[in-house]
Amino acid sequence: MIDERLYEEFRYIGRDILITGLTSSHGGNMSVRVGDRIIIKRRGAQFGQLKPTDFVETGLYTKDSGIVRASTELIVHRAIYQKTSALAIVHAHPRTAIVLSLSRDEIIPIDNEGSYLLRKIPVVSVEMASGSTEMANKVSDALQGYKIIMQRGHGCFAIGQTLEEAYHWVSTLEEVSDIILEHKMLGEPLIEYRKHSEGYKNW
Amino acid sequence: MHGWSGKILDIDLSSGSVETRPLDMEIARQFLGGRGLGARLLWDLVGPEVEPLSPENVLIFTTGPITASASQTSNRFNVSSKSPLTGTILHANSGGWWGMQFKRTGYDVLIVRGRAEKPVMIEIAPEGVKIADASHLWGKGVFETTELLGQNRNKRNVMCIGPAGENLVRIAAIMNDGERALARGGPGAVMGSKNLKAIVVEGKEKNQPADKDQFKFMQYETGKLLKASPLTSQALPEFGTAVVMNVVNEIGALPTRNFQQSQFEHADRISGEAITDEILVKNQACWACPITCTRISKTASGNEGEGPEFETAWAFGAQCGIDDLDLITEANFLCNDMGLDTIYMGNTIGCAMELAERGLLDSDLRFGQAEKLQDLVRDTAYRQGIGDELAEGSVRLAAKHGAPELSMTVKGLELPAYDPRGMQGQGLVYATSNRGACHETGNMLGPEVLALPRLIDRFATQGKAGIVSVHQNSAAVIDSLVYCKFANMAVAEEFFARTLTAVTGEPYTADDLMKVGERVWTLERLYNLREGFTKEDDTLPDRLLNDPVVAGPSAGFTVNLAPMLEEYYQFRGWDENGVPKEAKLKELGLDTLRSS
Repeated sequence: MIDERLYEEFRYIGRDILITGLTSSHGGNMSVRVGDRIIIKRRGAQFGQLKPTDFVETGLYTKDSGIVRASTELIVHRAIYQKTSALAIVHAHPRTAIVLSLSRDEIIPIDNEGSYLLRKIPVVSVEMASGSTEMANKVSDALQGYKIIMQRGHGCFAIGQTLEEAYHWVSTLEEVSDIILEHKMLGEPLIEYRKHSEGYKNW
Repeated sequence: MHGWSGKILDIDLSSGSVETRPLDMEIARQFLGGRGLGARLLWDLVGPEVEPLSPENVLIFTTGPITASASQTSNRFNVSSKSPLTGTILHANSGGWWGMQFKRTGYDVLIVRGRAEKPVMIEIAPEGVKIADASHLWGKGVFETTELLGQNRNKRNVMCIGPAGENLVRIAAIMNDGERALARGGPGAVMGSKNLKAIVVEGKEKNQPADKDQFKFMQYETGKLLKASPLTSQALPEFGTAVVMNVVNEIGALPTRNFQQSQFEHADRISGEAITDEILVKNQACWACPITCTRISKTASGNEGEGPEFETAWAFGAQCGIDDLDLITEANFLCNDMGLDTIYMGNTIGCAMELAERGLLDSDLRFGQAEKLQDLVRDTAYRQGIGDELAEGSVRLAAKHGAPELSMTVKGLELPAYDPRGMQGQGLVYATSNRGACHETGNMLGPEVLALPRLIDRFATQGKAGIVSVHQNSAAVIDSLVYCKFANMAVAEEFFARTLTAVTGEPYTADDLMKVGERVWTLERLYNLREGFTKEDDTLPDRLLNDPVVAGPSAGFTVNLAPMLEEYYQFRGWDENGVPKEAKLKELGLDTLRSS
């Protein structure tokens, strides 16, 4: 059962994800870990209109009836919590980042804020792009070394100690991607201003 | 050496033997160094049958793989033992220069066993290891001992005990480089019980990174974060650790008069701002640290020295109802010279003050009596008068006078400077800390007050156990590397992992480090369970559980511990009695230890 303080956090983060265009009205999902349980947005709930009944509590290690209402990506969330120290997960569909993921194996920020916060965002590719075991394994493995990763053509998974932290990484990723895209459209050569920036490729 | 020298120096003071043994590198990779390696070695060496002040107890001094590498804050080291105050596992760490210098002697670990017949000191230098007579130093204070033994910051470093350790005061500290303390849990008493006055180190070896280019890159990136953080680049250098005094007071989480209130009406007079305005001479840094949070202060009587830190200013200040910064600082200097833990000392004096005010202790001691602080400190170190009772800790003091509920302790260790009724997560940290009430083993000041890394609801309980556990695991691995926790407030584990990889040449990710932290935390739990501690010890003083805060921003709150504790056991993979389950032990590679 979700308590009032935690529900409020879900509600305002969900609203912000929607109004900043990081996902469509019903796409994506988010969850937090509570002890050995997960509280996750139910399948099909609207990001901008979350109610206390839009959340499902289910086991982290064991399955129960909660799975019938949980997000399609529950299997991915479980794997991430089991393999990393994440306490919260946001999965969204940031458009420019998705565009970049279609032609790149990693997204390396060129702006100062993005470099400072993320350094590099790897892109993983899976055949079954939603709710598969392969996807759960690849995404959770990648998140052992990074706080946010892109799944090619699908969206991002970000982890944090709180929903707000994970949301911050998603928001930053999209800003990073917008800047890369717009710089590419401008067509002018990059004047490197970051000392040791070559190190980000190996991050 | 690249991270580890692979050598343990093992000294038995009973027989006088000095041996060099190889470090088991599999254990080193699993526990890294510092607190983790100390706990692992202690598990094998000190069982439940050992009395803490007997020759069978040991002192295990450990450095970490990054110690002396020149990575930012890579100066710290650890001591592990069984606590004479609490009976729990003891770990304490300190900064300064000694840890760096010990690493340069070419050892990762120093184990001291047994008991010398008369006072001795150990000297470790390139020429060899000596156990020498120290009768002429016995009885002397820390400052004089340190000077007599030739302290020279970058060349020769002294660690010693003062009169408190010699007199087996249960919370005596071991002091290094004059004024740095390995304090909590009473390691100074263990050192005193061994008739060991000092350990002096001189070294020439270097901890050189396996990948120099990557190491330089990580130094550069880490430096950028430390400079970008207002905490590490402005607040701590400007005001020291006491910069949080006013902040904690404003939210109603500053324990006052033995936790009877959670706001101190004169907090501003003992704050970081007051220290800077009134007594600060200069700030100072430990070896390889750009933060410079150490205060060098001067009192009205002309005494000059290190301090006070936040915890000290609180312990002798708000906890005792005292706002005289000058006399608080004098008490701090005296604790350093006597070799005493200031948190314990101030907290226990506060307990004595409440006992006396309630007529339970036959004394004219009262809250606010700053003029009595120095006599109480000295009497404790020499076990004179009421000091003999204070030297036993507030648990024994309050119980003796018929009011055990007035001891503000968990597992026998005195609470530090945060009232958990205004920081629910901090309550869970205190209740579950393996060495007793402690903020350094998972401080929730960051997320619950300072918004580091994010601000969370300080009164919320649901979901708090996970955040507490992650912070505890993180603290355990920082203490095992060994880094400074202030650096960790600006620099995340992924940076430490990459630096560790650059130094050792072995690949580590942030999650690898967090797993080490969980392994260390769980092993410490196993140690305490083996000593007879149970779920019943994972609790808080009655006052914090049952007496709501009466006024201020935290008014009406107690610590809602039960649901957080239940969630905590579930999160950690422990059963309902707080015992790690077999699957969790197997996952952490600790299953063979439980059956041994």
